[in-house]
Amino acid sequence: MNSNQETDAWSRRKFMKAVVSSSALAVMGQFGIFRLAMASQADKTGLTMIVVDYAKCTGCRTCETACSAANHKQTVNGETLNGLGNPETANIRVYPYNPDVDVPNVCAMCPDNPCIEACPVDPDPKTGFKALFRHPETRAVTNDPNRCITCGSCADACRTGTIIPNDDTGLPEHMCTLCNGDPQCVKHCPFGALTHVSVDLDRDFYAMKPDQIAGKLIQKWYGKSH
Amino acid sequence: MTKQIDGYHGTLLKVDLSSGKVRKQAIHPDDLKNYIGGRGLGVKLLWDHLKNKPGTDPLGPDNPLMFMAGPFSGFPAPSSSRTCVVTKSPLTSPEKSAYPHASTVSYANMGGFFGPEMRFAGYDGIVVTGQAKSPVYLYINNDTVEIRSAGKFWGMGTDRFDKAFTEELGDPRFRTCYIGQAGENGVKYACIINTAARAAGRGGTGCVMGSKNLKAIAVKGTGQPKVANHKLFLEALEEAREKFKDPKVYGRWRTAGTAAGIEYLSGQGIQAVKNFREGTFVDADKIGAKASMKHWVKSLACYCCPLACKKSGKTTDSPFAGLIHDGPEYETGTMLGANLMISDLKGILKAIYISDDYGLDMISLGNVIGFLMEAYDKKLIDKDFLDGIDLKWGSVEATIEMIHRIAAREGVGYLASMGVKALADEIGQGSHQFAMHVKGHELAAHNCHANPPRALCYATAHRGACHLNGTTIEQQNMIALADSIGVCLFALGGYGHDFAMVIKLLSAIIGSAAVGNPMETGERIYNLEKMFNYQEGFTRVDDVIPERFFQEPLTVGEKKGAVLTREQFKTMMDEFYTKRGWDLDTSKPGNAKLKTLGLVA
Repeated sequence: MNSNQETDAWSRRKFMKAVVSSSALAVMGQFGIFRLAMASQADKTGLTMIVVDYAKCTGCRTCETACSAANHKQTVNGETLNGLGNPETANIRVYPYNPDVDVPNVCAMCPDNPCIEACPVDPDPKTGFKALFRHPETRAVTNDPNRCITCGSCADACRTGTIIPNDDTGLPEHMCTLCNGDPQCVKHCPFGALTHVSVDLDRDFYAMKPDQIAGKLIQKWYGKSH
Repeated sequence: MTKQIDGYHGTLLKVDLSSGKVRKQAIHPDDLKNYIGGRGLGVKLLWDHLKNKPGTDPLGPDNPLMFMAGPFSGFPAPSSSRTCVVTKSPLTSPEKSAYPHASTVSYANMGGFFGPEMRFAGYDGIVVTGQAKSPVYLYINNDTVEIRSAGKFWGMGTDRFDKAFTEELGDPRFRTCYIGQAGENGVKYACIINTAARAAGRGGTGCVMGSKNLKAIAVKGTGQPKVANHKLFLEALEEAREKFKDPKVYGRWRTAGTAAGIEYLSGQGIQAVKNFREGTFVDADKIGAKASMKHWVKSLACYCCPLACKKSGKTTDSPFAGLIHDGPEYETGTMLGANLMISDLKGILKAIYISDDYGLDMISLGNVIGFLMEAYDKKLIDKDFLDGIDLKWGSVEATIEMIHRIAAREGVGYLASMGVKALADEIGQGSHQFAMHVKGHELAAHNCHANPPRALCYATAHRGACHLNGTTIEQQNMIALADSIGVCLFALGGYGHDFAMVIKLLSAIIGSAAVGNPMETGERIYNLEKMFNYQEGFTRVDDVIPERFFQEPLTVGEKKGAVLTREQFKTMMDEFYTKRGWDLDTSKPGNAKLKTLGLVA
């Protein structure tokens, strides 16, 4: 699946217009006033994401290693090669729970871009991008390390808890790149638990934090007492 | 010092709980070349600690407790999670020895995520010595290492602790391992648990951890060693991953885990049934994989494992209803089921849960209870001896009551916490005939009557009876190697039993010069373990199997009538010592062999 041709980036002005013009803001469920804005933009923006089938996920973390290897390449003897799959730098991160539930956490590609909205850095006059922006080609939430002021606002705004500032540099990390349209986590999951799909706000567990997802799955699978 | 070897940090974390001192120590590159890591390097370090100190008290401060990762650990090679806990056993003992605390080497291999995380934190192994004055846990976050109070956690079962500990640490991505009440209280076959159900199960590792007042270790890290040949590693990794895409490789593990063996091995007549009196359990279908599946919710994998043999779930509508963290596996379901003549699956699953929660090795535990059931049935002991527990064959209630007593070491549980050898010593009356152990270490869930190679496997295993020892010399050396690399034995179906793929990956990681002759490395490790045991006083008279297998032929099932003969066993063992280059009378490893392996000058 490749979404590179869709380059209609979503601006803050359009977002505000969508929010203000809505007459049903208060009753939009999980995401409150953002729900309508997200819904109206999802199809138009053609955003795609990695979705997890939690029943199939075994918590093996192969996805983390595949992501890390592809997104953190190394130059070895003058040749650019995949990295060794250190899960620390992976953009998909598996959270384990007791009773046994594993929740791979990955960018939900929120159409209303709460992380980008929260970025206080003024748009660059030439590109129109803040320090955090949706890349026009890859559609991935992308950080410009030269302009980022490492304030952490994006991480605070992230609905899924995916964005985590680097301990040393403070730069936001772990935003899914979709691997240029061929996500390596999907390709390497031994259990077929990951798929690359269009963003759909109605999908179960969409844009929820790992703790919330785990809570629901534990109740469903193991009963209320845990 | 020779050149540092790729694929390792070359660093041990040494923790002395007596002084509270923590330091990093470099590993000599020759030790990595000669012993690889995991079990091999652990045994070498044990030898370095206790050479010329036979009879060191395994529950004293001088016995090191070591958590050893292999060179695969922390790289995404399939099924590369295995971590070996190496120490001197608190459970085993020789027929006779000049030393009061003589015991064997102990190595227990666990899956999960602990070993890889230890390597991310920058360590190839953690060596714990000494004894803390009060309960502590070890906190490791890369270079930050702290010994912290575990007072509020002492007395907690592993399931509750697993949750409470994660909350204390504030980050579920810490990887932890810990003991339950069994280890705290000094049950000789207490194990170390991780993820509430995976275990470094055998040989009393948890008992040693408890003796050190060490409740748990938490580790988190961000680093990774570099590899010798990056490009070759990526190629070999893709090649290995391809092999694991074959349903023939992963199918049975994902579908049924090791529980598939419960019905299969019963059908073959080689299961542990009724304290090893029989090899076939008539109710195997009631406790096997097919029956268990109904209760399973999902399959769980260790780090980068495509097999996912662990099963979780729950049972309902039973007095024993509750959570399933794991199982049954073949061993746990057989030892707490068939071996005790229990066919109530929900009851077995409850007993498994409780045993994991206390941190008890279910193989030894199933032997202890099976032995007591038989002694009770034969009227060698009465209900008074059992504190009023009506320990009849097949009783789940009595089994669970015994488990509580053993973990608490109360009443009959105190004696039972010492293992079947100690029980038989106490009860006497010929009960040694059905005390199922070798060197004091209880037998795993595989019967020998109709399986002579298994008899050799048990008799020659260095930690005492062990089903993972290998039934031939070649297999034993290969398994010692696999345990040292950190690859799971279950994954050899994917990698190939010829080890070619494993060695290709290993060569890419540590370099072909460091790999050297891998089978000789396996043999070296096996021989060093033997040297350790021999120093403690173990000789050929300790390499025996319980009398039952020679005297009581199977009476039911496929292999009805099967029994081992002494001649057969002796011939097999003679051939073994000869091929090993060990002395036929004493089993002492011969100088010529040790010289070849570089174990003596």
